[in-house]
Amino acid sequence: MENLNQWTGSKKTWHYLLLIILSLLILGPFIIGLWTSLLPTADISSGKLFIDNISLDNYWAALTQTPIIRYLFNSLFISILTMICQVFFCSLAAYAFVFIDFKYRNFYFYLVLSTMMLPFEAEVIPNFQTIKSLGLLNSYLGMVIPFMTSAFGIFMLRQSFMQMPYELKEAADVEGLSHWQFYLKGALPYSKLSIYTLAAYSFLSAWNQYLWPLLTTFSDDYRPVQVGLRELQSQETFNNWGMIQASAAIIVIPTLIVLYFGQHYFKSGLNEGAVK
Amino acid sequence: MEEENNLLDAKKQNILENSKKSILANKISVKKNDKFYALLFLGPSLLLLILFIFYPMLKTIYLSLFLTNGNGQNTVFVGLENYVSLLTSSTYLASLGSTFVYVIGVSVLTIFLGLLLASTASKNVRGSVFFRTIFSSTMGVSISVSAIFWLFIFNPSIGILNQVAAFFHLPILNWSTDPNLAMISVIISTVWMNLGFAFLVLFSAFESLPLSLYEETAIEGVGPVYRFMHVTIPLISPTLFFVSIITLIESFKSFGLIDLMTAGGPNNATNMLVYQIYQNAFLNGNYSQASAESVILTIIIAILTFIQFKYLEKKVSY
Amino acid sequence: MKNQKRVIYNLIIVLTVAFLSLLPVSLLGNKQASAADNSKRIKIVFWHEMTGPAQTQLNEFVKQFNKSQSKYQVVSQFEGTYEEAVQKILNTHESNTSPAVFQSADISVSQLYHSGYITKVQKFIDKDKSFNVNDISSVARAFYSQKGELLGMPFNTSQPVLYYNASLLKKYNITPPPMNPSYSDITRVAKQLYQRSNKKVKGMTMEVYGWLFDQLIANSGNYSVNNQNGRLATPTKASFINSGSLKAMEWIQENVKSGDFINYGSGTNASANEMAAFLSGKLGIFMESSADIGQLTLGMKNQKLGVTYYPHADGQKANGVAIGGAALWISNDKSSEVQQGAWNFIKYLESAKNQATWQKATGYLALNKNSKKTKTLKNLYKKNPALKVPSEQLAKTVPNNSNSGIFVEGIVQERIILNTALDQIYNGSNIKSSLTQAEEAMNSYIKNNNRANGWRY
Repeated sequence: MENLNQWTGSKKTWHYLLLIILSLLILGPFIIGLWTSLLPTADISSGKLFIDNISLDNYWAALTQTPIIRYLFNSLFISILTMICQVFFCSLAAYAFVFIDFKYRNFYFYLVLSTMMLPFEAEVIPNFQTIKSLGLLNSYLGMVIPFMTSAFGIFMLRQSFMQMPYELKEAADVEGLSHWQFYLKGALPYSKLSIYTLAAYSFLSAWNQYLWPLLTTFSDDYRPVQVGLRELQSQETFNNWGMIQASAAIIVIPTLIVLYFGQHYFKSGLNEGAVK
Repeated sequence: MEEENNLLDAKKQNILENSKKSILANKISVKKNDKFYALLFLGPSLLLLILFIFYPMLKTIYLSLFLTNGNGQNTVFVGLENYVSLLTSSTYLASLGSTFVYVIGVSVLTIFLGLLLASTASKNVRGSVFFRTIFSSTMGVSISVSAIFWLFIFNPSIGILNQVAAFFHLPILNWSTDPNLAMISVIISTVWMNLGFAFLVLFSAFESLPLSLYEETAIEGVGPVYRFMHVTIPLISPTLFFVSIITLIESFKSFGLIDLMTAGGPNNATNMLVYQIYQNAFLNGNYSQASAESVILTIIIAILTFIQFKYLEKKVSY
Repeated sequence: MKNQKRVIYNLIIVLTVAFLSLLPVSLLGNKQASAADNSKRIKIVFWHEMTGPAQTQLNEFVKQFNKSQSKYQVVSQFEGTYEEAVQKILNTHESNTSPAVFQSADISVSQLYHSGYITKVQKFIDKDKSFNVNDISSVARAFYSQKGELLGMPFNTSQPVLYYNASLLKKYNITPPPMNPSYSDITRVAKQLYQRSNKKVKGMTMEVYGWLFDQLIANSGNYSVNNQNGRLATPTKASFINSGSLKAMEWIQENVKSGDFINYGSGTNASANEMAAFLSGKLGIFMESSADIGQLTLGMKNQKLGVTYYPHADGQKANGVAIGGAALWISNDKSSEVQQGAWNFIKYLESAKNQATWQKATGYLALNKNSKKTKTLKNLYKKNPALKVPSEQLAKTVPNNSNSGIFVEGIVQERIILNTALDQIYNGSNIKSSLTQAEEAMNSYIKNNNRANGWRY
């Protein structure tokens, strides 16, 4: 008995050791980044990384000398707008595929589905021309319009609408509700969770857009944070590492907090449609 | 972007699985003459998809058959010449090669480490929730932040890796100039960024494994390694397959990290497909060649997506 | 379920709060920028690619110009590297976001000339009696001219030079290189530095940067493309393999192999790493544009900076190098009023006083001949005679087709191709075969470009 206890004890120790090593590997870049963001650049450049000369100067510099607040605002604005549009247009289309009968419905559905096979990255040249001829280069709308709908979103909400009890629609028909009314009062409230999930994902993917804003923004008034950070880095020819790391920290800390509070939700979103 | 897209695809996968089932079963009676509402509800999405996905695809194919002048206008029709010159260009073939190395490297490492994290975290010990939070934390990191963190780590003169190496009198590695090391550094950064997502998906699969199976095999005296390979892996293989294919697809589309970390260098070692499109179109103004490259990329992605669809269909149909 | 809802509401609240709290700050930022304009002013959008101290100074000029008059409001916007900017300019032409006046580099001269998107500054010079174009350096003007007409106004002009850390050389008791050094002069210093520092200090680097390669060719009196660098007729072939380039590449490859030269690779990171190493005393010598002087003097607080001419092959006379940097161009897609404002802004930047300030702040060479007489430059030279070197190199250069830049479209492509070749050569590949590959790649580019434009090929 004693023997067994000892054995499980040491096993447990090994398990914790493994957990800690893995955690350090994952957290390493965060820790290094956050630590250096507190050091004076001169010390970083000369390799003095283990000193107690820490301060928030770099953060102050990043906030006052760079347009990082503006970048954050732009990103937030673009992401929220994209999110709202995607939820709206995707839910409308999904509703049509479930509750409205029209010719070639399946054809249209597979047409939508097939867009998943065409990568946006391969279509930037004509899309740039389109946005340019719409007069939307260097604007919020130019960064939102191409992503106002998505095959995935339509797909997900269609699935969710399909799971609605048949009686609900029947009752609505008896009551004489129009499609609009049923969409607003029936379909949307019933699929709340899927809507939230789509909202979260469309927000995150808009937040992480990189190539498209890089191509279509030309001034700091519209640059989102991902591209803004690139501009900051390329302007800092002196390589003000302290300030750059501070800017990265300013950007990553909010998302980490959101992730921390929302992690159950992300996971459940993931599991929601899963077959088990 | 990658890992959030991954997540999106994860969702997509689950929904695909379910919808296939219900698509036939669900036959809701509908009002007649709904044409107007169909147009109103579906119209906007369809219009957007046509304008920003179908039309540009056709336009890209069209552009790839011409030569473009300095102002980006297509002037001379050359048929498939752009494709021929691409597929015979050593630079492009090298780019294809390095993309494959990158994609395979990223996928294998992501899967391996993702499994390691998920299996370690799936054992219920005190504080395991805390560790799970840490393991999924890279999901909150975007491309630019990840690039900046890793650029500093790999910086040849002041980076932490070389400083540690110098402290222990290990050889100083030139991470940004040695082609192989640069590739490794980009792979490591991508894997790190992907891990949060891979962990989350694989961990969900581990969580749903029936406990009784473990107890049975434990009684039979089967070793943990054997059990992992022959019991666990087959059970989570659908999830494994899907994490792999999504990582594959997303790696093929990698752009941001490369742009920020290596700009395709050194010696084109990390000049991958999407970066090459960007370079040719938006730095060199060679739109026709970039269009041909775009078409080739689309073919690769379409094949992979098709495999994914096919696999799901098979899985659901039995 | 309940828990999830709470999380969602919390998220929504967090997002709303973040949004609302950022809103006033960003609006404030916007207001500050537009506070000066009385809404009646004509907006002149100005695109530039300056970084570091040069960006600071340029923005200062913009501010002063806006203060100096009340008709125009110049708005400056940073557009990344020269390479990125050229395509951005061409791509946005005739859109609502295109610039009225922009900075574009030596690499884009032929492309902008053929694009038909610019109004030649010659047009304004001819009309404007208050501006004497002869005050501006003729060598720089020649670079941006075609058929006797000035296309863009040279603004930030540099010369490739060689920098060394004079304090470091002194510390290890090494004789500095001569003012006009040959390859073996540099090798000597680099080797001594590497050995005497116990291999702690690397002797030299030359960034993998096609521009530096082209300048080595120019300094040997050879051409990078045929038809005398495209000055006689539209070029049809690259000529990267010549006596000048072979000697230069052999020199570098040998020394990389022996360890006294270090390779930092290519791109923004490379030049940043090179600079960091030089400033921290881990690197003795490097070759770069004279435009780096501003940053270097700022960064080398307690150390002395040495500058020499661009090196040349042994037993040969230096032919001189082409200028680097960029010019200011006026787009023709804006109203004549806006274009006039753009011209006024250019004129403002070219004044003797501002050019002197510019040189002092950045290391770019003052182009106005009268700048020499300003106190700013006199004091600068007195304090640090090394800063005079690039201007002297420029003054000594007798312009010819070899050292006046390359008049070919697709220099961006050329530089990328050359970077690939240089990368290979630095890593020990066969020099001739790497350069042959580069030539072939460039030839097919030139051929297709000439075809697409309907030119002879």
